[in-house]
Amino acid sequence: MAWRSPSDGAPLSDAERPHWSERRWLRALRGARGRPLGFVLLALLLLLLLVPEGWLSLLGPLRLATFDAYQYQAPRARRSAPALIVAIDDASLRHHGQWPWPRTWLAALVARVAEGQPAAIALDIVMPEPDRLSPGRLADLITGLAPDASAGLRRLPSNDAVLAHAIRSHRVIVPMAGLDGESQGAVAGRRAPVRVFGTDPLPFLRRFDGALRNLDEIDAAGGGHGLLSVDIERGVVRRAPLMAAIGPSLVPALAIEMLRVAAGVPAFAVRAGPGGVESVGIGDLLVPTEADGSVWIHYSPHDPSRFVSAADVLAGRVPLQQFERKLVLVGVTAVGLSDHQATPVADRMPGVEIHAQLLEDIFDGSLLARPRWVGRTEAALLAAGGLLLILAVPRFSARRSAGLLVALIVALIALGSLLYSKAGILFDWSAPALSVAILYTAMLMVTLVEGESQRRALRLEIARQREAAARLAGELEAARRIQLGSLPRAAEAFPNEARFDLYAFLDPAREVGGDLYDFFLVDADHLFFLIGDVSGKGLPGSLFMTVSKALCKGAALRQGGRVAPVLVEANAELSRDNAEGLFVTVLAGTLNVSTGELEYCNAGHEPPHLLPRRERPLRSLDGGGPPLCALDDFEYAATSLRLAPGDTLCLVTDGVTEAMNDSGKLYGRTRLATVLSRLGDATSASQVGEALRSDVESFVAGAERADDMAILVLRWIGPSASGR
Amino acid sequence: MDLVQKRIAGTIVLSPSGRIDHATAEEFKASLAPHVARCAAGQDRLVLDFTAIEYISSAGLRVLMLAAKQAKAQGGALAVAALQPIVREIFEISRFTLVMKVFTTLDEALAG
Repeated sequence: MAWRSPSDGAPLSDAERPHWSERRWLRALRGARGRPLGFVLLALLLLLLLVPEGWLSLLGPLRLATFDAYQYQAPRARRSAPALIVAIDDASLRHHGQWPWPRTWLAALVARVAEGQPAAIALDIVMPEPDRLSPGRLADLITGLAPDASAGLRRLPSNDAVLAHAIRSHRVIVPMAGLDGESQGAVAGRRAPVRVFGTDPLPFLRRFDGALRNLDEIDAAGGGHGLLSVDIERGVVRRAPLMAAIGPSLVPALAIEMLRVAAGVPAFAVRAGPGGVESVGIGDLLVPTEADGSVWIHYSPHDPSRFVSAADVLAGRVPLQQFERKLVLVGVTAVGLSDHQATPVADRMPGVEIHAQLLEDIFDGSLLARPRWVGRTEAALLAAGGLLLILAVPRFSARRSAGLLVALIVALIALGSLLYSKAGILFDWSAPALSVAILYTAMLMVTLVEGESQRRALRLEIARQREAAARLAGELEAARRIQLGSLPRAAEAFPNEARFDLYAFLDPAREVGGDLYDFFLVDADHLFFLIGDVSGKGLPGSLFMTVSKALCKGAALRQGGRVAPVLVEANAELSRDNAEGLFVTVLAGTLNVSTGELEYCNAGHEPPHLLPRRERPLRSLDGGGPPLCALDDFEYAATSLRLAPGDTLCLVTDGVTEAMNDSGKLYGRTRLATVLSRLGDATSASQVGEALRSDVESFVAGAERADDMAILVLRWIGPSASGR
Repeated sequence: MDLVQKRIAGTIVLSPSGRIDHATAEEFKASLAPHVARCAAGQDRLVLDFTAIEYISSAGLRVLMLAAKQAKAQGGALAVAALQPIVREIFEISRFTLVMKVFTTLDEALAG
């Protein structure tokens, strides 16, 4: 696609093409102090949290470890003892000899237990092959046996038949084990009927390809048939299927089959919905399950009181009433036979005790659960906590936002512990906590990086401004040198002059200013002088001042020092090109240094002062017109005066009279007059000028000056040196 | 800068207050501009009542000068009245009394 300009639709050139688009995209992601990045990251973390378990097993191990920690920290307390284990333990093997025992002994054990009238008996032993200790097989095994003895042995019932008889007599439940990847025995076999409510649970159930079953003779005798298999996840038994699928058939767990037999209920009831299996029921008892028909076993620690030794039962050392109304599991626990599993509460627990614990959980209703809403709650809490962090981290200080993170994690842990201990619900705090920690770290990093780049930009900006200020200061300093250099210097202008004496001083408030003075001899006898003040300061004032000074000088030279025409001409010239509308006050004068004849003209300026002499007091010389540029066509008129030898004129700008001290007081004309009155006896112009200047300075006392200041003092000594 | 405005018998009277110096001159100029623009031949006269003006610097005088020039060019009449002693002294020294009409009191300005 070609980029077109929005106005005329013409294709843009390469230079115009918006190559900034990708950078803008990046900036948008990072911008607003990293918030957009935070949102993207939060969405990813939520997605990760919500994917089905096992699909992307990044958080799975962490979640299982969290659940194990709950049980390890606070295992279930045993409330009732519905199950009892008759254990073929190490003591039994020591007493009766090696395993496997002849099955007649197992038959005797079952018969002995049955005498105690238990609610149900189940075997936790799968016997797929015939007993080689059966009398008939012994006949084959023992060589050199007498033929009649051998025939006698063969006439005896097999051990398996004896056991089957005992099993049938006492309605003993026999087990099977689920097998994966085996083609053999993928048959349903004997099992209790299952009534299904809702949808078909089969697609959801834990599925085995086949089953390892007892010898058909024994299997057929069983009063019930249950599955021994438990789920081993990463080496630990946490869940057991309450109902599983072997091929197309539904098979109950051994534990719940025992409960069914004990309760005398003919069939199971399984309820399933669109989300999976919901519950497994026997009669009034309804056990909620996970979607795959399994339950989370809530473990109590290993407890020896669950066990009685098979040797003690066989020897009659166990009171039989102990078995009354109990669910009795017969299993092998001897260490050498290694039917042990790792559980959250113990690294090695006899397999048969896991079934006993499951029975206790079902009996007490203390199974753990992870309903579907828990996962959604975890995601919602992550979303809320994540949004809080995204909003807070860029705004808060690092310490406060770290505190917020810790508070969030502590709240998640507290909620998880509370749900576990009060409701047996498995809430995974670790995944949301890890997610908010990752989010926090990312937000913090972006915020820090952004802060750093802002600081860097600020440093650059400051450096740039300093540089610009330095350059301007350099230019202004040069302008100051030029401006001050353009003013004549009183001490050097007339080296051998005996007829008059001059003092001139000018100090701009800033580098350059709008005050001016000038003096020069128009011819041998006529000294032209002026002092002025532009209505403006700084650079604009200084430019206007320079122009005014040059115009006045040109006019004065042309007019031979006649001041009124000088001001009329300067006024006309300045008014013509005065775009800024500035004006300038000027006092110009011409002194005939041979005769003392003075002609002056005032254009809106401070009146000059004639210093007191002998009996004459200080005199202010009046007369004149408005400032130059104020009235274009004003006819300025000069005033004449004859000075006596030794008379002194003092001219100032309003930088003197309006000098301000720190308390806002003005120097004022009264103080000026007082100071000048005292200087009647001064013997030189510079004595007068310096006295005035130092008085102004002591008045101002270091306060910042607001206005330019100029002083011009002219003393007429006399027609010649002799006139003094 | 606040310009209190009233109209008395064919005269617009503006009453600024405070100091008109370097810091306030531009603001004073802006407040004054619309009135000066209407100050022309056949229109109301414009009188600046300076009763409440404590001080005026050369920057302030410049604003008055420009206003006077503009009013003059338009054929209008612009005057100041009721100057405090300090302000009057500034007007006299700078001869601004020649640049624009200055009345001692507001009544004189209205009459004249």
